[in-house]
Amino acid sequence: MLDVDPSKLRKGLLSESWYVDLADYVIDLQWSPSAARLAAVSVEGAVFLIEDLGDSATFKMIGSHVGGANSVSWRRDGAKFATAGHDGLVKVWDGTSGTPIRSLEAGNAWVTKALYSPRCNVLATAAGRQLKLFSDDHKVIYDSPDHPSTIADIAWNPRGPGIAAAANRGVTLHLSAAGGEPRRFRWKGSSLVLKWSPDARHLATGRQDAALHYCSIATGKSAQISGYATKVQLLDWDAGGRYLATGGGSSIVLWDCGGDGPMGGQPTQLEARSGKLTQIAFQPDGPLLASTDADGFVFLWEPAKHDQAIGGVLLSSAASCLRWIHGKRLAIGQEDGTVVVFGVET
Amino acid sequence: MSEIASTIPVTVLTGFLGSGKTTLLNRILSENHGLRIAVIENEFGEIGVDNDLVIATEEEIFEMNNGCICCSVRGDLIRILGNLMKRRNRFDHIMIETTGMADPGPVVQTFFMDDEMRDAFHVDGVVTLVDAKHVSLHIDDGEEVKEQIAFADVILMNKSDLVSPQELNTLEDRIRSMNAAAKIHRTQDAAIAMEKVLDIGGFDLNRALEADPNFVDQLRRQHPHDANITSVGIMSPGDLDLELFQDWLLGLLDTKGEDIFRMKGVVAIHGQKERYVFQGVHMLFDGRADRPWRDGERSNSLVFIGRNLNREALMLGFNECLT
Repeated sequence: MLDVDPSKLRKGLLSESWYVDLADYVIDLQWSPSAARLAAVSVEGAVFLIEDLGDSATFKMIGSHVGGANSVSWRRDGAKFATAGHDGLVKVWDGTSGTPIRSLEAGNAWVTKALYSPRCNVLATAAGRQLKLFSDDHKVIYDSPDHPSTIADIAWNPRGPGIAAAANRGVTLHLSAAGGEPRRFRWKGSSLVLKWSPDARHLATGRQDAALHYCSIATGKSAQISGYATKVQLLDWDAGGRYLATGGGSSIVLWDCGGDGPMGGQPTQLEARSGKLTQIAFQPDGPLLASTDADGFVFLWEPAKHDQAIGGVLLSSAASCLRWIHGKRLAIGQEDGTVVVFGVET
Repeated sequence: MSEIASTIPVTVLTGFLGSGKTTLLNRILSENHGLRIAVIENEFGEIGVDNDLVIATEEEIFEMNNGCICCSVRGDLIRILGNLMKRRNRFDHIMIETTGMADPGPVVQTFFMDDEMRDAFHVDGVVTLVDAKHVSLHIDDGEEVKEQIAFADVILMNKSDLVSPQELNTLEDRIRSMNAAAKIHRTQDAAIAMEKVLDIGGFDLNRALEADPNFVDQLRRQHPHDANITSVGIMSPGDLDLELFQDWLLGLLDTKGEDIFRMKGVVAIHGQKERYVFQGVHMLFDGRADRPWRDGERSNSLVFIGRNLNREALMLGFNECLT
């Protein structure tokens, strides 16, 4: 069952702090910036606020979206969070009490994502082909022209102004310069997932047609890396921006972007088991990478040093979302409705 | 394709505007079959039945390689069905209604080319409705109606009460010349037994050609109408060399895949007592050994449905694979 050598796994690297059962597929969850709480949404649309008490937790269902929910995001100070629903609405909630504050009309389609800026209190929403930005007092301050298809993912520039939206045939960069027109980066294939490099100089997208796409913001030059076994749905950069972890199928393909980017070099393949990967996430301020697979395994890697997993644990069901906070705790939402938090010894 | 039993069946419903798709959908949803059915439709409709789910979507075609249509998938379906898969009360059956103008190819290919879709679903069949009264008015306007007929496992000649039996026969002959492998039913108000549209195993290798073992006979009647989209049937005794046969088929798909909408067949391989069954959609191919031949049954039946097919070249290619 376990293809990794258990003797190589460090004992106690992952220690369970607590778990709660939300009784429905956890489709997204996010830590509040202070790590005091988690907000979670379920596939059927329920919205939960979880209080982290250290070695235990309490939770309450604070509301719901009709038809289902897709994502959740905290304002950078934790005072509010927003959830994206199949009802075309983004709902904004009080970050302490869970009281509903406002429903925002994001568009006439499922809202794929609601995402607060890391740098200001603006909230971005992606519904169908439409990207909207809302001010902190919930007014529409930007309404994008239609994208070529439904927006699959959005990501704020981590260093400067602007937000990128991935859809069919490339990425659109909005508001990167004051008053500027959206900037289109066109390439073949449909981009499913989008990540900025931490220095905001590059964008990486994973594509439906089994390719990774890597693009320089300054020059607009881009390159695709084909040869993946499946579509590329998982992407993450390490904090230093040197390693780009990508996933599709059962192995993590790790690109060293230290030189001229991933082109030309051979990637490292990390594979603990043959189960299909469901999530990957780098520690925000450390060397570790966490991965989860469809059989419910969680593995920790230190990819700069070893191509073998250094820690692992088996969950009650497959992980559907995976979130680090402060590099020391790992929250995992699961298909069976469990939310479990692990402490990570560093 | 290999784990059909554990995956959710998908029926693709095609047909020109006004052919009766909505009527058929309403019938299926209101029938007391005990199935939980999710409907994904391209046009906003008035359908809403307790316990079923209707989701409207806009067709989004994602090209895979080289922009070739036979490698395209429907991004909207991947997104919606990917979400439905996560729900606790899973659906028993998915119905996808396409627009009258839609090419069924990318819809079907989605369930073969996307790994998540392939793991969770299988296409049970393509059901095409034809408006028996009006189809002749628009069948030659474009490729859509012909492609929908060519892709079908089941064709309903609907509104059959509005035309004479002779007109129906003429229409059926014409449809048959385009798609010799489909089952054709004459219906009024899309009234048909559910098992004829909901459990047809159109892409199930175990049931390849089960629909009509004598379909090739019907091909012997030649029709001049739609030289563009035709069926080529081959029925022949003799044993095939497996390697030659596979090389021939794969070479054919490589060069003509864009023009071959569907193909299926049951063939006799030299030295093997089992039937070899295969089927394909454009460039996608699946074939394997099946149950043993029964007494007196051993022979080869193949059908190709597509555009600008060269009957002589296909016959010749096939004959070269005989041992």
